Amino acid sequence: MQEEPIPQQVQENIEQVNSADLVVGVLSELNQEGLVMMCDALRTLSGSPRIAVLQDDHAADPLVTSPETAEKSASPYVVPWPLLRPDISSTPVVSMSAAYQSVFAAAEKFGAQACCVIASKFETAAAGWACQLAQPLLEEDLDLVVLHYARHKFEGLLNSSVISPLMRCLYGKRIRNPMGPDLGVSRRLFQKMLEIERSARVGGNLQSLVSLAPAALCNNLQVCEVYVGARIYPPTDWMNISSLVAQVLSPIFVDMERNAACWQRMRASVPVPAIGEPVLVSRDVGSVDISRMVESFQLGIRDLQEIWGLVLPPSTLFELRKLSRLPVEQFRMPDELWVRIVYDFALAHRLRTINRDHLLKSMTPLYLAWVASYAHDLETAGAEATEQRLERLFVAFESGKPYLVSRWRWPDRFNP
Amino acid sequence: MWEHIKQALVESTTRFLTRSANLLPGLAALIVALLISVILGYILAAVVRRLLASMHFDQRLTRWGFPSLAEWSPMKSPTLLVSRAVAASVIFAGFLIGIAAFDAEWTSLFARIVFAYIPNVLGAALVLLVGSIIARFLARSVLIGAVNLNLHYARLLSVGVRWLVVVLAVAMALEQLRIAARIVELAFGILFGGIVFALALAVGLGSKDLVTKSLERDAQKASSEKTEEPFRHV
Repeated sequence: MQEEPIPQQVQENIEQVNSADLVVGVLSELNQEGLVMMCDALRTLSGSPRIAVLQDDHAADPLVTSPETAEKSASPYVVPWPLLRPDISSTPVVSMSAAYQSVFAAAEKFGAQACCVIASKFETAAAGWACQLAQPLLEEDLDLVVLHYARHKFEGLLNSSVISPLMRCLYGKRIRNPMGPDLGVSRRLFQKMLEIERSARVGGNLQSLVSLAPAALCNNLQVCEVYVGARIYPPTDWMNISSLVAQVLSPIFVDMERNAACWQRMRASVPVPAIGEPVLVSRDVGSVDISRMVESFQLGIRDLQEIWGLVLPPSTLFELRKLSRLPVEQFRMPDELWVRIVYDFALAHRLRTINRDHLLKSMTPLYLAWVASYAHDLETAGAEATEQRLERLFVAFESGKPYLVSRWRWPDRFNP
Repeated sequence: MWEHIKQALVESTTRFLTRSANLLPGLAALIVALLISVILGYILAAVVRRLLASMHFDQRLTRWGFPSLAEWSPMKSPTLLVSRAVAASVIFAGFLIGIAAFDAEWTSLFARIVFAYIPNVLGAALVLLVGSIIARFLARSVLIGAVNLNLHYARLLSVGVRWLVVVLAVAMALEQLRIAARIVELAFGILFGGIVFALALAVGLGSKDLVTKSLERDAQKASSEKTEEPFRHV
C-alpha cells in the first residue's frame, strides 16, 4: 500500500510556511555547510522568490531556520521533511520516485510556481545546481529543466546505452539525462504528475523519476537542458548489477507501455534548448579490463540461450552466437544488434513472455557485452570521440524505431 | 429319475434367465450412461479445445516454461491433450455411474471406492502441477542469478534445484495417492539426500578454484596499489 505523500506530522511545518514560490527538495546527503552554500546560491535568483528547502528530517546535520528569520534575511526557509524512508520492500528507484512525489505534493501545498529536486551526491561545485534549475523555470516559463552533466566516457553507462537513446527515439527530444536525477519542474508539470499518480494508484505504481520526461514530452510541455560540471556517480556493485538493470529498466518499459499511443506518433528527434556551454571532461583511465564482462556474456550464451530464445528472434541469436566466438581483442557488438535486443526485451516485457524479473535480469550479460564493446571502442578516445560514438548509437536507436513499432503492433505477425 | 433331472434343468435355466433378465436394466443403464457421457465428453472436449485455442494455450505453455509437454502430446498439441483428457474423464465418470446402476453389491462398492479415490488423484495432479511450476521458476531464478554471478556451474545448480523440487513434488503426490507410502518415504529420503550431496560435492569441488582465485585476488589487491574501477552504470 502506498503512503500518503504528506504525512500528518509535517502538516505543522506546512502551516508555518504558508506559501512559497519555489520548493527545493534535497534528497542527497547534505551537511550544514553545503546547505548554506546552496541557500546562498538560491538567494541570487532574480525577483526574490520565497523559497522553501525540504531537507530530509533524518539528515545527520540538519539546518534549522524559522520562517521569521528567513523572511527577514530574504533567505530560503529550511523545512525538515520525511523525504526518504528506508523501505526494505521497495527498490531504490521506487523509493526515489516516492521522494519526488513527496516534493511535488509539498510544492502543490505551498502553491509554488516550480520545484527542484537535488538527488546527486553533493560536492562544492554542485551548490549552484538548484539555482541553475530554478532560473529557467521562474524566468522563462519552462516546464522541465534537466541537467546535462559533464561526464566521463565510462560513467552513466545504463543511461547512455538504454535510457537516453530510448527516450530520444520514442519521444523525439534529445535529452541526455531524462531521469535526472537533478530536475526542475514547473507547477503545470508537477500537478500533472500528481494527477497521474492519483489515477495510477488504482491501476498500478507510477514512478515519477522515470515518467517525468515522457509526461512532459507527451503533453507538449517545454523542456530544456542546462550544461553543468561533472556529478559524482556511485561506485559499481558488480554483485548486484542484474538487480540494478532490472530496477531501472522495468519502470521504463512499463512507462513505454503506458505511453504507446504517444510515442508511436513521434518521428525524427530534435534537440531541446540548452543553457550554458557544454563542459567536456577527458580523464584518461588507461587500459580497461573488459574480459570479465565478455566472460559474463559468453556464460550467458552458453546457459541462457533457452531464455533468450523466447525473447529474441533467431537472426539475433545467430548474431550473438557469432559474437561469442570472437576473442576479447576483437569483441565488438554492432549498435544495430544492441538496439534490436533492447526493443525485443521491451516487447517481451510488454507481452509478459516470461516472468518480468527473470526477463530483465537475463538481459544483464547482453548489457555487459554492449558495455565491453563500447569500452573497447573508446579505450583511448577523448571527449569528442565519445560524443561521436554515442551519437552513432542514438542514431541507430532512431533508425531501428520502425522495427519496434512493427513488432509492438503485430508481435505475432512481424517476427523476422 | 428323468423327471428329477428335467426339473433341475428347468430350475437352473429359469434361475439363469431370471438373473440375466435382472442384469438387463443395469446393462441398459450402463449403455445409456456411456452414451450420454460420450456425447457430454465430446461436447466438453470441443468447448475446452476452442477455449484453449482462443487463449493460444500451446504458445503460452511454451512461454510459461513447459515446452516438453508438447512433445508427448497427441499431434504435438497440449490443447488436444487437455481436451482429450477432459473427454476421457467424463466418459470414465459415466462408466462408473453406469456400473453403479447394476445395483449389485460389488459394483456399487467398486464405484464408491473409485469415486472416493478421485480427490486423491486430483490432489496428486495438483501437487505435481504446482511442483513443476515452482521447479521451473526456481530453476530459472537460480540459472539467471548464477550466470550473473559468473558461476560456471550455473546450469548444474539450476538442474539440481529443479530436480530437488520435482522429486519432492513426486514424493508428495505418491503420498497423496497412498501408494507404497513407506517405500516412497525411504526412496525420497535417499534420492533427496543424494541430490543435495551431489550438489554440495559439485559446488564444493567447483568452488575450490573460485576460493583460490578469490584469495589470490585479495593477496594481489593488498600487495599492489588499489586501482579504481572506471565503470559507473547509474
